[in-house]
Amino acid sequence: MPPATESEIHKLQIKGSAKLVTEFFNYGLNTILYQRGVYPPEDFSAVKKYGLTMMTSLDDQVKAYLKKITSQLQKWLLKSKISKLVVVITSKETGEHVERWQFDVNIFNNNSPVPKSSSGATSAATDKENSDPTAAAAEKSDAEIQSDIQSLFRQITASVTFLPVLDGNCTFNVLVYADADSEVPLEWGDSDAKEVKNAEKVMLRSFSTNSHRIDTVVSYRLAE
Amino acid sequence: MATASVLTPIKSRRDGIFSTRLAGGRMPLTPSPKTPRTQLMQEVGPTESIHNGNLMARFSRSVSKTNVRDSPKSNIASRPARDSPRRLDQTISEFALTGTGPRPSTATSAKNTPSRARNARSGSVARTPKRSQSNINYKAADRFIPNRTASDGITSSGAAVKLDNEQTPGRRPKSSASEGTATLAASVSVFDMGRPQTSSSDLTSTLSLEGLNLNDNNEDEDYDGAKNKPSPNTTAYQQSVAEACGVSIKQRILAFKPAPPESSRPIDLRSQYNRPLKPASASASQFRRRVLTAPERVLDAPGLVDDYYLNLLDWSSGNQVAIGLERSVYVWSAESGTVSSLLECPTDTYIASVKWSGDGAYVAAGLGSGEVQIWDVEEGTKLRSMYGHDTRVSVMGWNKHLLSTGARSGVVFNHDVRIAQHKTAELHSHTSEVCGLEWRSDGAQLATGGNDNLVTIWDARHTAAPKFQKTNHRAAIKALAWCPWQTNLLATGGGSHDRNIHFWNTTSGARVNSIDTGSQVTSLRWSLAYKELVSSSGFPDNSLSIWSYPTLVKNIEIPAHESRVLHSALSPDGQMLATAAADESLKFWKIFERKPGQANLMAGGVASVGGKESLTKATTIR
Repeated sequence: MPPATESEIHKLQIKGSAKLVTEFFNYGLNTILYQRGVYPPEDFSAVKKYGLTMMTSLDDQVKAYLKKITSQLQKWLLKSKISKLVVVITSKETGEHVERWQFDVNIFNNNSPVPKSSSGATSAATDKENSDPTAAAAEKSDAEIQSDIQSLFRQITASVTFLPVLDGNCTFNVLVYADADSEVPLEWGDSDAKEVKNAEKVMLRSFSTNSHRIDTVVSYRLAE
Repeated sequence: MATASVLTPIKSRRDGIFSTRLAGGRMPLTPSPKTPRTQLMQEVGPTESIHNGNLMARFSRSVSKTNVRDSPKSNIASRPARDSPRRLDQTISEFALTGTGPRPSTATSAKNTPSRARNARSGSVARTPKRSQSNINYKAADRFIPNRTASDGITSSGAAVKLDNEQTPGRRPKSSASEGTATLAASVSVFDMGRPQTSSSDLTSTLSLEGLNLNDNNEDEDYDGAKNKPSPNTTAYQQSVAEACGVSIKQRILAFKPAPPESSRPIDLRSQYNRPLKPASASASQFRRRVLTAPERVLDAPGLVDDYYLNLLDWSSGNQVAIGLERSVYVWSAESGTVSSLLECPTDTYIASVKWSGDGAYVAAGLGSGEVQIWDVEEGTKLRSMYGHDTRVSVMGWNKHLLSTGARSGVVFNHDVRIAQHKTAELHSHTSEVCGLEWRSDGAQLATGGNDNLVTIWDARHTAAPKFQKTNHRAAIKALAWCPWQTNLLATGGGSHDRNIHFWNTTSGARVNSIDTGSQVTSLRWSLAYKELVSSSGFPDNSLSIWSYPTLVKNIEIPAHESRVLHSALSPDGQMLATAAADESLKFWKIFERKPGQANLMAGGVASVGGKESLTKATTIR
């Protein structure tokens, strides 16, 4: 067992990192909703963030909706319970999933096992082998992280150039891939993956904090 | 005369009046001795209060009570009924057999932290026949042999995990808290049968022969104290099954179930990509017409109450300006330049609002006491007093014979001024002081703005309930203006914590545009001749800004006053704007000067604007 101080440090890292990642998700969601025309542009206002002009929703209902999601995300992130966040854009007319933004959350647990109390040592070890090739990532400065996020947002914004034009009558859903043992609030329920049929995938940039790495993939329907 | 010293435009024939100016008190509405154009920024503390909606509160509340199943007991209660019958149906595979081994210790069961996930998962169990009864055994053993050694516990817990995985290949191999739940639950079902130490074969008499065999087998192992780990084959097998099914064995996909808020309208992405990000920031280089930036006239307004919520300035269709200064209402005739004191209210109160009737014959004055007086200006007599409000009447609006009054209490009354029982309607929407109120020119709709950050649009025919309530502003709304050329377009400006002008389609209730002005919006006036509107600012700019519509380009910003501009009024011909500011001056700006022969934008003519004669009259103010 690692000494208590060490795990304390780890906890702190996770906390700060979870906050940062949650904030990223909040802006990411807003950016997608704005860029993909889920809500009218006049419902958004420009704020400076990550050295960019980010559009965030002004609509109280949308804000509250996103707040609910992100606050739960943060809880899960703190406990390292989720591995993916997915924003699915669905056509209101056909109900088809037309676009899927997937953010993979990789958690580094370099100094101590993730505090899942009951996990046996053996199974945790095999798991680590599978999922954590980048655990040895060096400590990153805040500025580096910010600039990584900035380039990711630039890419998301730029991606509208290759993504198909949506008909503007779309809605969205948020999915998370959570560990089977997560605590799940009532608002969240099991779902299928809502994959886009006949999809093309484009991998975008990733960024990492000291505790998390976020990979981004957008999949969209190919034109028939 | 209008040289640089236009700042104190003393005309010779007014000398008689001015002689008193320097001797003590200032005369109301006399040309100001002050230099008005200094750009001194005077900090004005915003007086309005901001009510932030507490929207988030209820969400956090709902989240906090979400973790429903904390007690292992709830699982114990529910699980046997769901799981055990299914298990009995299962045939046992060889894999299952190999997987059975040591018995779990109490350590495992002690860690139970059940979750809902397990219940959901049980659905997948049914379609996977590779299950064994054995896990039930272990659970039973688990539960009832509490004094195991620690080492025993560790190995056996691992084994229990493997068994669990076997019964549900959709699950991850890692042992986790919830797995214990299943074991515990199973054990309970065993005990219900009254055979604590034995296997699930005891569960029901209908158990298959294979099942019995298996259980025997398990028991043997148990008693041997075997600590075998699950065979590597088991792990490999379950992984391959999971892969084949395309199921991740350690995850569940969760969707946020509430539907996202509806978009107010379909969006055409193509137009959005062409939209400039910051329409309001376009520079003054784009402004297309010359705007006079010097005031035409400056008058003194001593005693003008520096209160954002009051409405103390109005310009009549008969080309007379009424202004409330402390306890008095003065009428300044733009044609003759003469000033008269129309009324003086009792010493215990003050003038809170002033409004001309549409025909320019009467002035309504709202008092701090809640009384509303109507005065005939020609005669200089009071026609009537109307009571009803118990708080100050800070804003009023005429619609023909109907006078709407908004009070600090948040209530708006409609008064029919012709009849004795004058109050015809009570409009309840605002919970805080109403400070903006504007009738649409056709009288079909009424817009009110309040200190509760709410813009309310009323249908004149249905005053029982608001037609729309708009919560987008983040501060009090005093500035309201109906577009003269598009009747269902309303502009509203928010206070110092909001600083936005929003444009509304009052038919659909949709917000069609927004400007971030960067300062408190104290009033808004649409031009009658240009597709423009002017906004007056409080802290920090104290300026007048002219915006083009719908491009939202700022044509010009005129540094207008030394302190915040409180009120504005447009001349009946629409060319001149009067502004009253906290620096106790009243200024006239010819910002919408018309070229000869240019007509107003709206065709039919609006009731509040007079005919041709008034146009020519208004152009000459003296």
